[in-house]
Amino acid sequence: MTTQLQVPSPPPVGAVQEPTSRLARLATWQKLLMYGLAFLALLSLVRVVSGAAQLTSSGTAEAALIAAIPIGLAGLAGLWSERAGVVNIGLEGMMILGTFGAGWIGWQYGPWPGVVAAIGFGVFGGLIHAVATVTFGVDHIVSGVAINILGLGITQYLAGTFLTGTPGGGSKQSPPIANIGSVSVPGLPNALESIEDRQWFFVSDLAGIVRGLTTSVNYLTIIAIVLVIATFFVLWRTPFGLRLRSCGEAPYAAESLGVNVYLYKYVAVLISGALSGLGGAYLAIVAASNYRDGQTAGRGFIGLAAMIFGNWRPGGLAAGAGLFGYTDGLQLRDNTAVHALLLLAALLCLVGLVVLLIRRRWFGALLTAIFGAGALIWYLGTDTLPPQLTSATPYVTTLVVLALASQRLRMPKADGLIYRRGAGH
Amino acid sequence: MRNALKIATALAAGALVLAGCGSSSTPATPGGSENPSETSSAPTSDLKVGLAYDIGGRGDQSFNDAAARGLDKAKDEFGVQAQELEAQNGETDAQKEERLRTLADGGYNPIVAIGFAYSGPVGKVAKEYPDVNFAIVDDAANDLPNLANLVFAENEGSFLVGVIAAEASKSGNVGFIGGVNVPLIQKFQAGFDAGAKAQNSSIKLQDKYLTEPPDFGGFNDPAKGKTTAKGMYDKGTDVVFAAAGGSGSGVFEAAKAAGAWAIGVDSDQYLTAAPAVKDVILTSMIKKVDVAVYDFIKSVVDGSPLTGTTTFDLKNDGVGYSTSNPAVEPYTAKADEFAQKIISGEITVPTTP
Repeated sequence: MTTQLQVPSPPPVGAVQEPTSRLARLATWQKLLMYGLAFLALLSLVRVVSGAAQLTSSGTAEAALIAAIPIGLAGLAGLWSERAGVVNIGLEGMMILGTFGAGWIGWQYGPWPGVVAAIGFGVFGGLIHAVATVTFGVDHIVSGVAINILGLGITQYLAGTFLTGTPGGGSKQSPPIANIGSVSVPGLPNALESIEDRQWFFVSDLAGIVRGLTTSVNYLTIIAIVLVIATFFVLWRTPFGLRLRSCGEAPYAAESLGVNVYLYKYVAVLISGALSGLGGAYLAIVAASNYRDGQTAGRGFIGLAAMIFGNWRPGGLAAGAGLFGYTDGLQLRDNTAVHALLLLAALLCLVGLVVLLIRRRWFGALLTAIFGAGALIWYLGTDTLPPQLTSATPYVTTLVVLALASQRLRMPKADGLIYRRGAGH
Repeated sequence: MRNALKIATALAAGALVLAGCGSSSTPATPGGSENPSETSSAPTSDLKVGLAYDIGGRGDQSFNDAAARGLDKAKDEFGVQAQELEAQNGETDAQKEERLRTLADGGYNPIVAIGFAYSGPVGKVAKEYPDVNFAIVDDAANDLPNLANLVFAENEGSFLVGVIAAEASKSGNVGFIGGVNVPLIQKFQAGFDAGAKAQNSSIKLQDKYLTEPPDFGGFNDPAKGKTTAKGMYDKGTDVVFAAAGGSGSGVFEAAKAAGAWAIGVDSDQYLTAAPAVKDVILTSMIKKVDVAVYDFIKSVVDGSPLTGTTTFDLKNDGVGYSTSNPAVEPYTAKADEFAQKIISGEITVPTTP
């Protein structure tokens, strides 16, 4: 499947080779920056044409960040676990445990003890998963499902016991948790606000997004972003990370080289639990300000999807969570802006069409042209989208991008396999 | 390997469903355990009341809690016994039917179903048990001799808070946040919009439903409520009416951060919200589910069970608005004036936006 799709890329013809090689000479971050700015220019164009200011407003950027981070942390949790070869669909349950820990301790002793408690509750969920899957060799899926059921049941029981009769709380929700505090880049917000208000092409959009991402940024947000970057360095740039990943790719080979596979799997799953718990804490403390029964609403599973979307890599999952968070924040803030996304889709199809025509991929070009025309006609023919579709925007967008990108995904080789020491021969 | 991933995805969805089954009986408080001693002096009735909650159940600080209050009052006054069960997000009608049958088979009579989601199930199960008295809150789709439909004129109560919102708004821009886009919640929006327009014909209205059915998570997602409300406040709204159950707490947080007003729903949320946020709750649209549940149980105790459709509206004080926050004082005269017009039939409040 994978190889078949890579074959058709034709042997480079002289004219085509020149720009590709020039592009290839750029460093990855330069390429990403270029793509990012080009995308922003498109978005800005859409904003100017449609008049949907919320597309690139600072408020939307902030909402996107808040919506993306619980999902990103859940995805990161899944990444740690699956890189060590343990499939973790118990993320949702561990996240629920985290929301309760944050709510229960957080409303009484303040947000930071709440964060610690959430991590503790998450680690507890991770420990159950590790004992079941690593020590006893239970099927990873079965254990994960059990944790999802257990996480919900335990928290409902504990909430009924410890939150009933609290001021403003009850058996289904905790009283509000105090604000955890935030920081702004000094001087920047005011300057950017005046630029954002001018509604200039590109400049105001950039200012709006930067302002949203740099104004009163929550401490937990910063921690979450640092954790994504730290995960990359720990897993891909340290001997510890190499050994951990080897447990997910070829545990018996790792074992033959003296790696204690059980230990590494335990560490990975416990970190996974801690990150899920932190995701729950973020949801309860920053996104919502209290614990509420059922508030995770499947975000753990979406985190898992973001991880697969990101090809089991931290950068990719951050992009996946960001895409989901952006579309979710946008649809919650403004219905008309979502309608403008149709125009964006049409423009992206146009870009794709040009690229495909240059590469002489006629069939792909035809499909892209049809989709692009469809999106454009839809955009021009309507003023709003039906609310059902607006609410589904994050899911539809993620699904479409996933469908286009999923052909090159590769999961860790021994992911989900049960490892028994010494059973490799 | 790829199979494992497929199974994982399939089971992920299954897990949610299972989570629903697994815990549906856990939080159900056996009747009387919360007030064990209060019945000692009260008359004891041999009536066993079954109560099936909607998602959220007892403790949701909103709709279901109001029903629970009605039940508690009946327990205190008549000494009835009760069994409470609650629904989970994402469950099917079959699960709701099973819940009602469990109560009926357990000898519970009458049985009260809380919420429009029981519409289909209660119609089916009430036919199967013609000797059991059923009641459903918020639905009037079934017409059976042993079923009482207890419905509310939410649009009338929402009209009044709409008037208050329009009057309190300095920017001339008010917002409505609904939990889930279903006809019942649209009734709130219809009333609110009409009331705001009646007070100020040039008012700007914003509206948003947090989720679309069959996803009922919008009643339980304060994070979504907070983001949506912040979006509205950013766009110039200064009063937001939240008919969104448990997501309302997020709306109150956003109102506090924006220094603006929020309006609560179902119960008087100024009294039940946390001290830190209660001051932003200008008023609440009151829906006396407790009165409805109590009245129904009382009718059964008295030997003449309610049947057919009973509407609780402004006229019989079944809906209204709260005045516990002193800040609402300047606006009550106008609201009461409109209330009189609705009661006299001069104004008919629409039920769809």
